[in-house]
Amino acid sequence: MISAEIRKKYTVTIGIECHVQLKTKTKLFSAAGNDSREAAPNTHISHIDLGMPGALPVLNEAAVELGMKAAFALGTTPQKFSEFDRKHYFYPDLPTGYQITQFYHPIIIGGEVRIEVDGQEKIVKIHEAHLEADAGKSIHPPGKDYSLVDLNRAGTPLLEIVSEPDMHSAEEAKVYAKELYLRMRYAGVSEANMYYGNMRFDVNLSVSTNDVLGTRSETKNLNSFRSIERAIEFETERQIELFEKGEKVVQETRGWDDAKQRTFTQRSKEEAHDYRYMPDPDIPPLVLSDEMIEKVRSTMPALPGEVREKFMGLQLDSSSVDTLVEEMPAGRFVLTLLDSGCKTADVKRVANWLTSEVQALVANDKISWETAKLDVANFKQLAEMTSSNKVSSTGAKAILIDMVQIGGSPAEIAEAKNLLQVSDEDEINDIVKQVLAENPKAAEDVRNGEAKAIGFLVGQIMKASKGQANPSVAQDLIKKQLN
Amino acid sequence: MIPMVKLSHEDVLKLARLARLQLTDSEVTQFSGEISAILGYVEQLKSVDVDSLMPTSQVTGLTNVMRKDDMQNYGPTPADLLKNAPATKDGHIKVNRMLA
Repeated sequence: MISAEIRKKYTVTIGIECHVQLKTKTKLFSAAGNDSREAAPNTHISHIDLGMPGALPVLNEAAVELGMKAAFALGTTPQKFSEFDRKHYFYPDLPTGYQITQFYHPIIIGGEVRIEVDGQEKIVKIHEAHLEADAGKSIHPPGKDYSLVDLNRAGTPLLEIVSEPDMHSAEEAKVYAKELYLRMRYAGVSEANMYYGNMRFDVNLSVSTNDVLGTRSETKNLNSFRSIERAIEFETERQIELFEKGEKVVQETRGWDDAKQRTFTQRSKEEAHDYRYMPDPDIPPLVLSDEMIEKVRSTMPALPGEVREKFMGLQLDSSSVDTLVEEMPAGRFVLTLLDSGCKTADVKRVANWLTSEVQALVANDKISWETAKLDVANFKQLAEMTSSNKVSSTGAKAILIDMVQIGGSPAEIAEAKNLLQVSDEDEINDIVKQVLAENPKAAEDVRNGEAKAIGFLVGQIMKASKGQANPSVAQDLIKKQLN
Repeated sequence: MIPMVKLSHEDVLKLARLARLQLTDSEVTQFSGEISAILGYVEQLKSVDVDSLMPTSQVTGLTNVMRKDDMQNYGPTPADLLKNAPATKDGHIKVNRMLA
């Protein structure tokens, strides 16, 4: 372990390349199906994906549109001119012998992502982002002398987003990766399902004691925010240790071993490929007109930053804001309530229900956000019933749990569950009289100014009313009767 | 006068590795001569001043050749396509072991 003192001498510099799988029905250059999550091997393939002689790849217009959306999501405008190139290398999961990518003229140049770390706002600039086709998948059965190749993923459209080396800690890198994830989901560019590997990250990292950048390593194929964080922590330590021992960092590609929580050498620079990039003569260039660009711009949905500010306006705590931003159905519902003219205090109440009680149901797999019964009228009614004391806040939560799981109007659920709160003074007064008569000692204590005793009496009233008395009304009435 | 470029045996072996070709010693000697001659020709071409010209990668003048994002039946089934694989196993293409 490196001491904090030594660590302080070093500046860590991090750049991230992120591969985002685009949400299209078909592949980037073939009309074979793109959703192979549960498909048997080699069932979503065509002669184009297999690189058969004479096959002609034709660009998927939906992938181009998603690339344009990604440009806006990254704070820039798509390039009017972009083009596809061949990147040559030999590997059994790449039947064409080259990957089609955008090397010389990518669809996105520049852009920026704002992140907040420890209350400080920071900008991570985007170098470029390009469209490219994914390769297939290989598996290596243990103990066998062969490998198996599944080409369902070959040709799947990806957007590779390359950041500038603007990050300096594992935390910054994690927040940046998470922000990319949110933006790609909000913009509808990708399902961004981490479990299915819809987003994969490569981390370039170097350490230095001065203004000159050190030699970097590239850790490839990280597929969770946590592994990004851990890989960066590991690489930082490893490189500083080398420096401290007077050794050199080698420029190389490394992998991440999740079980051992460490990076390992995959390929050194000497073995690096010579990709022999050349423009792909099969694919005519992409020339986006102002009209095409404006059409996509006009359909851009609100992005996480804008939505986050609206939630902050409700004075929610920061973890509730995070939950609403991350759980899109919950966040969308709160925005719908806001737009429907619901009182801010009621919207805030609903937001808190969603981020605590409902989120707990989701976390315990009782419901999912997609299946939760989120009905504007019902939630409005429940919020109103709570703020007008028709139900207690505890009663409201019991109603809420039924309402989101089964559905139904809160008034009916309250009635059925006997949760309607009694605030009528005459009705409660009778109970107060009875309880005071049964508890003369406590009544005496209250008269003598003992605050604790009043809590006991309120408790007795709640018990006698089967929880339906409004406790604050009860308290007022106790005081009135005893004075 | 064609400037001489001489490709070493190591250069030829590296090219062969990149192209996944196995060469005999005599082939290495043969290609070192032949490729050197080709490079010599390229050197000759390099003497032409093309600074003001854009490289040509497209000759059709077409742009934005795109298709709708709809599935399409091209004819050959996955089973037909897999017939071209050297070997298959359980629907996978079976290849020489790669480094995992």
